[in-house]
Amino acid sequence: MSQAGALAVEFNSGYSKMIQYDAKQLRRIWFVLMRSTASDVVKFLLLVAALTWLMYRGTEMMGYHWQWHRVPRYIAGFEDGRFTRGPLLDGLLLTFRISAWSLVLAFCFGLVTALLRISNSFMGRVIARGYLELIRNTPLLVQLFFLYFVLAPVLGIGRFTSAVLALSLFEGAYASEIFRAGILSVTRGQWEAAYSLGLGTFHTYRYIVLPQAIRRILPPLTSQAVSLVKDSALVSTVAIYDLTMQGQVVISETFLTFEIWFTVAALYLVVTVVLSTVVSVMENRLRVAD
Amino acid sequence: MDALMKDGAYREYIIEVEGISKTFPNGVRALTGFSTRIRRSSVVVVIGPSGGGKSTFLRCLNGLEEIDSGSIVIDGIPLDDNKKNRLEIRKEVGMVFQSFNLFPHMTVLENVNLAQRRVRRKTKQEATETTMELLKKVDIPEKANSYPSQLSGGQQQRVAIARARAMMPKVMLFDEATSALDPEMIGEVLDVMKTLAREGMTMVVVTHEMGFAREVSDRVIFMENGGIVEEGTAEHFFSNPQEERTKLFLSQIL
Repeated sequence: MSQAGALAVEFNSGYSKMIQYDAKQLRRIWFVLMRSTASDVVKFLLLVAALTWLMYRGTEMMGYHWQWHRVPRYIAGFEDGRFTRGPLLDGLLLTFRISAWSLVLAFCFGLVTALLRISNSFMGRVIARGYLELIRNTPLLVQLFFLYFVLAPVLGIGRFTSAVLALSLFEGAYASEIFRAGILSVTRGQWEAAYSLGLGTFHTYRYIVLPQAIRRILPPLTSQAVSLVKDSALVSTVAIYDLTMQGQVVISETFLTFEIWFTVAALYLVVTVVLSTVVSVMENRLRVAD
Repeated sequence: MDALMKDGAYREYIIEVEGISKTFPNGVRALTGFSTRIRRSSVVVVIGPSGGGKSTFLRCLNGLEEIDSGSIVIDGIPLDDNKKNRLEIRKEVGMVFQSFNLFPHMTVLENVNLAQRRVRRKTKQEATETTMELLKKVDIPEKANSYPSQLSGGQQQRVAIARARAMMPKVMLFDEATSALDPEMIGEVLDVMKTLAREGMTMVVVTHEMGFAREVSDRVIFMENGGIVEEGTAEHFFSNPQEERTKLFLSQIL
């Protein structure tokens, strides 16, 4: 009996050891699989499939009739073998132009305002603070209308200029706070070193403070730039044929509501992703230089 | 003779400080009205307990801190509200900080070149030549293209000294230049400072390194509560300090 018992114990312990080993191995394989890029791709595709299915179900319940094949001609096409821009691409290019101008101007406004707020000049600080609070605490749409309907006739500027001005003044107010934070983040020792070397205020900002500040504020500044691109959709309210306005026009002609809006959204996405990518490449370059 | 006096004629005292006092906005009285004169090419070491006003005194000498009353004259130029005078003094008075304060986004070469090019308006080539010479003097020419973060503390401080020297200042101020360094790096920085002293640079040095004071200083000033408690040669301080306060302080740091 004792011999048989011993055998049984031996058999049992060996068996359970084997099971444990297999479970461990399985778990390890599972972890490796879950961490691989392949599994990430699969997970992403599953998510997209689920969202697509949800959308499909939703529109089916509304009785929506998808007609994606009619969309491409509104983006671009070939006529007589020549490339022609559709209204959406035209709109995209205008959105580009407005955003680019506004971006440059907004950063100028932001930088100047930040410098004024830090300056020793009392009037400078008052003006900068007044601009910031006024612009930041009123809606962009109201500012745009005010500029276009009230100031533009007085100043004799067109709708494009008014739109760019409104957008850059608005985003510039936010950018100024980002710039100010960046400038203040440069330690006092850097200022003192520059001072004791005899560098003037301009040179100190130009060579010491701003290069360090801008590196640190690139991430929030990028967010602000992305905001600007999306906020530029508001210029459609003063009859500028940007991407949003063109989308509305196409929809009123074709009733492809969902298809066109999704396309418009995708085009905005392309612009902003390109923008973010360019900045992150820049950021990496700067980091290498550190 | 008059013309000579105007552009840098020989003045025995390069720094003349008359009754300066300074109270910080938080009510701390950092300097309580004291006077001193510093001879050209001499090395003055300032010692004393922290909070005694040593650093404030040093920072007043190049205008980093404003004085409330009294006067400071550097090589005949008064440090007053006149912006031109102030700029002139900033150019002629170099400073080395406890925390190095190198510009982290620039290479060593660019750090040392910057003021030569923007303030002294040298060409890039002229500036680089001077820089390489100075880097050789502080024994790190091979680091010219490195960034400050790639250097040790001692190396960074030596670059900071080269950077200050690049302006060819008449006076150099050292604000606890070795206090932030690891012990084994203090020596290399002190060596550079000693060489500088032997080359005839006028130096005002706030430090706790009594060995340095003994070896190269012409005069030691002991400061507490914003004023001078005692001054004399290093030998005087080591062999027979007069004031009780000085004896106590020295017994603590030696």
